Amino acid sequence: MAKTNLWDERDLTEEQKLFKESILDWAERNLPLDRVIKMNREGHPFPPDIIKGLADLGVIMGTVPEERGGLGLNWKDQSLIAEVIGYVDPSIATAAGFMAVSTGWGFTIDRYANDVIREKYVKPAINGDKFIGIATTEPGGGSDVSNFKCTGEKDGDEWVLNGEKTFISGVEEAKKIGGGYWVNVRTGPKEPGAPHKNMTAFFVPIDSDGLTPAEPYDDAGRNAISTGGFIMEDVRVPEEHMLGEKGKGFYYTMEGFDNARILIGASAVGVTRRILEEAADYIKERETFGNPLAKYEGIQFEFVERYIEMEASNLMVKKVAAMQDVRYDEEGWLARTNKAQTYSPKEIAKWISMIKYKVPHLAKDTADDAMHWLGAAGYSSEYIFETAWRGVMSYCVGAEGGANIQKIVIGRETLGPDYVPYK
Amino acid sequence: MKFVVCVKQVPDTTEVEVDPETGTIIREGVPSVLNAFDEFALNVAVQLKETLEEDVEITALSMGPPQAKEALTKCLAIGADSAILLTDRVFAGADTWATAVTLSRAIKKLGGADVIFCGQEASDGNTAQVGPEVAAHLGIPQLTFVSEIEKIEDKNIICKKETDEGFLRTRCPLPVVIACMPTPGFLPKIPNMREIIKGKRKPYEEWTFKDIGGKEEDYGLEGSESVVVRTYSPPPKGEGIIIDDEPEVAVQKLMDYFEKEGIL
Ligand SMILES: Cc1cc2nc3c(=O)[nH]c(=O)nc-3n(C[C@H](O)[C@H](O)[C@H](O)COP(=O)(O)OP(=O)(O)OC[C@H]3O[C@@H](n4cnc5c(N)ncnc54)[C@H](O)[C@@H]3O)c2cc1C
Repeated sequence: MAKTNLWDERDLTEEQKLFKESILDWAERNLPLDRVIKMNREGHPFPPDIIKGLADLGVIMGTVPEERGGLGLNWKDQSLIAEVIGYVDPSIATAAGFMAVSTGWGFTIDRYANDVIREKYVKPAINGDKFIGIATTEPGGGSDVSNFKCTGEKDGDEWVLNGEKTFISGVEEAKKIGGGYWVNVRTGPKEPGAPHKNMTAFFVPIDSDGLTPAEPYDDAGRNAISTGGFIMEDVRVPEEHMLGEKGKGFYYTMEGFDNARILIGASAVGVTRRILEEAADYIKERETFGNPLAKYEGIQFEFVERYIEMEASNLMVKKVAAMQDVRYDEEGWLARTNKAQTYSPKEIAKWISMIKYKVPHLAKDTADDAMHWLGAAGYSSEYIFETAWRGVMSYCVGAEGGANIQKIVIGRETLGPDYVPYK
Repeated sequence: MKFVVCVKQVPDTTEVEVDPETGTIIREGVPSVLNAFDEFALNVAVQLKETLEEDVEITALSMGPPQAKEALTKCLAIGADSAILLTDRVFAGADTWATAVTLSRAIKKLGGADVIFCGQEASDGNTAQVGPEVAAHLGIPQLTFVSEIEKIEDKNIICKKETDEGFLRTRCPLPVVIACMPTPGFLPKIPNMREIIKGKRKPYEEWTFKDIGGKEEDYGLEGSESVVVRTYSPPPKGEGIIIDDEPEVAVQKLMDYFEKEGIL
């Protein structure tokens, strides 16, 4: 751990303090920064001891209700956990793979899946024995979620799925330890003016007949977890693999994005905090022209700017987590009480898009600054900054939704639906 | 069977600095942690419980300010079954004697215990007195520097006690106070999220001096026998000499140095 400590624990609950302490203790033994750097150099699939370790620690899918194998955590707790995971692994491979993907989407899968899928896939994924993820993006594009080409046709008791999914996180991991994906397909004609209708979500096991995984991509960063894809040729899944109701896949997907994006915002706060701490250690020690670097305003003031932005982001994440807790009632289901009417799902989505846009960019820019502050040392993989920079960039360019898409959501909710750029 | 583990919340010594003017520890902004010796003692107790067939109830006991609850919450996550915080203004300023009086009265109120575990010492005071004093107040035997417990059989405990020369394998009848000395490289159990949540649901109580009885003057500063005259940091030792050479050369240089300084 860095010598500089920029955490302020005073607004954490007793449990949250212990969550943080346990994750940091675990990381000190199992995932120190040099291992993070090494893991990213070596590439995927993710080391199985880390998957199992994270699961044993209980950081995966904590928001799933207790009776279904989760911890019944609220989103304030889960986002604090996400923040600490980002802090521990600023390459965000861990955060991406097991917080955002497994937790955000796993929680949503659990909500809409029946007990068969819950028992066979969700529970084992919580225990680190399987990987579950999301497959919406197609070769034709990822942003336009209503315009996907994959299809599903009913044949007797089964559904027959066809099409291609691409840029999918964790395919190599799922191949290795088993698991599957939430897959969106079109199950009815595309209605003019309402392309988002007739989309249906299915849970598709990675080892399904007719499913061929593609070669993984050689990504710029977060290399400890794979990004790949798969082609589905007459993949047959039973009716019980349908998530929620037929034709409602688009809405569930938006909800899943919300649940993943909040954890991305939270983990990016942790990444930023770690970068600032590690950089502070260096600039306080390293001397040029007779003074430590940290004494020069050119560096100190940039540091301070980033620190302020980080704590502002932290407050935003906390607000959003509190909104999520209003959205989901105690049982983890969409609240239908009056209390829930305090925020509409669209308003919550706006706030979530704000942190999904803002915080990964902040983390990336802070890593960029840190490389400047350190000079050549910062550019080398001896320090975490370049690994972090390449990792968080994935959340800026597209993972869990591109930057401009977040801005479109925020613009729609602030200026009004008439100003949506593509309408 | 009943175990009591006495624990203390201490400032994180890795981050502690001493005020050069007053000689006292700067506590502001320094995070508090569970004393590492006590954490070891609790780990030993929890592991022992797992090996015993009969039911064991582990109570974590601490005297301290209200925020010491945090240390107890951690004990509950690690495996204590219940926790009691002795917290009262009356207890403030206690030395080891008054602390031991307070703890032993609380243990009596609990109806005693078969094994009372404590850390060999606390990392903030390093006196190593509280455990033995608790034993004295309770009138039961004590074993100090215990690094390992082998077993409990026929109302006797068998454990390994570190000595300067090696270790002693000791048998002692219950009830007993065990002061635990962490083994080098010991890694305490890291409670997972589920254990932390479960821990929060376990019984936790706060007791004041009224709960354990006695007179006010038995406790805290008034009940303390010792007086702190002055605390200070010893002056720095000055720079050492590091000889970094091949063994033969290094030994020669060391001998030359001893000779020059008249040590040999
Ligand atoms: C590392 C990584 C992991 C990923 N993991 C997964 C996964 O597990 N599952 C999954 O389904 N997908 C995954 N994705 C894909 C991700 O969801 C998409 O990258 C994202 O949705 C954007 O889609 P696209 O890349 O096809 O870009 P496009 O949709 O082609 O957009 C390209 C660019 O144009 C911008 N843009 C698009 N429309 C507009 C508009 N109307 N106005 C202004 N700007 C616009 C976008 O913001 C983006 O910057 C991953 C991506 C990455 C990089």
